Amino acid sequence: MSILVVILLLIIMSCFDTASQLVLKSSINSLKHNVNSISSVIRFIFRLILIPRVYLSLLFSTASLFIWLFVLSKIDLNLAFSIDSMHYIFIAFASGIFLKERVGYKRWLGTILIVIGIAMVTLS
Amino acid sequence: MRKSRVTLKIILFLILTDVLETLAHYFFKRTALPESGLIVSNALDAFVFMKAVVSSGFLWLGIVIVATEFVFWSTILSKIDLSVAVPIASFSYIMVPLVSVIALHEKISLLRWSGIFFIMAGVIFVSLSTKDRGVASE
Repeated sequence: MSILVVILLLIIMSCFDTASQLVLKSSINSLKHNVNSISSVIRFIFRLILIPRVYLSLLFSTASLFIWLFVLSKIDLNLAFSIDSMHYIFIAFASGIFLKERVGYKRWLGTILIVIGIAMVTLS
Repeated sequence: MRKSRVTLKIILFLILTDVLETLAHYFFKRTALPESGLIVSNALDAFVFMKAVVSSGFLWLGIVIVATEFVFWSTILSKIDLSVAVPIASFSYIMVPLVSVIALHEKISLLRWSGIFFIMAGVIFVSLSTKDRGVASE
């Protein structure tokens, strides 16, 4: 399989991953639940799994997992990790656009440093 | 949301989530290596592959760990922004090489050390970005 197909698969996987996280985070935000004790965690999780779109999030991450397992059977783990690190960029963009999180210059700088760092760690 | 700062407790939770994630990955990876060592090249092979995956014990162990991870991760996300939680979770890329240095006395190349340094700097910047916001919004 050509490297381009693998990269394309990893991009699709990152999109699924990002979508999964976005849906989960927006569900959690909609609960406005203040988690501060074990019992409140239990109540929080129960309320969370009653939100239908949480299962959409689950579906996205399962799809992403299957792509990941497929990719791993094709290419080197380190290369896969380094290409996958770009999903941090996707998350930063998507959080700003869809969740209205304020992604300032410090957060962007941090995110980009992490992506460069992961590429260095996994490719060395 | 009022509480959005990264505290030590949240970082500890994130590390725990990373450990669970790594464990789950390990089990899923074990699942993905069917004993037959079959090569997926067409639709029928893909079906056989899926069947082997679903009937593996490692898959179900992995799923239990993922469920636990879901509880921790959701709790973290109820406290901090997604654009903060995800980058900070990249700690696992530091932990694996550091553990192999400390426990296995492995040598680490200069490039890898630099990568670790970049990731740590990145995590610090992302954490600091929540501090500013906390001050500004309160």
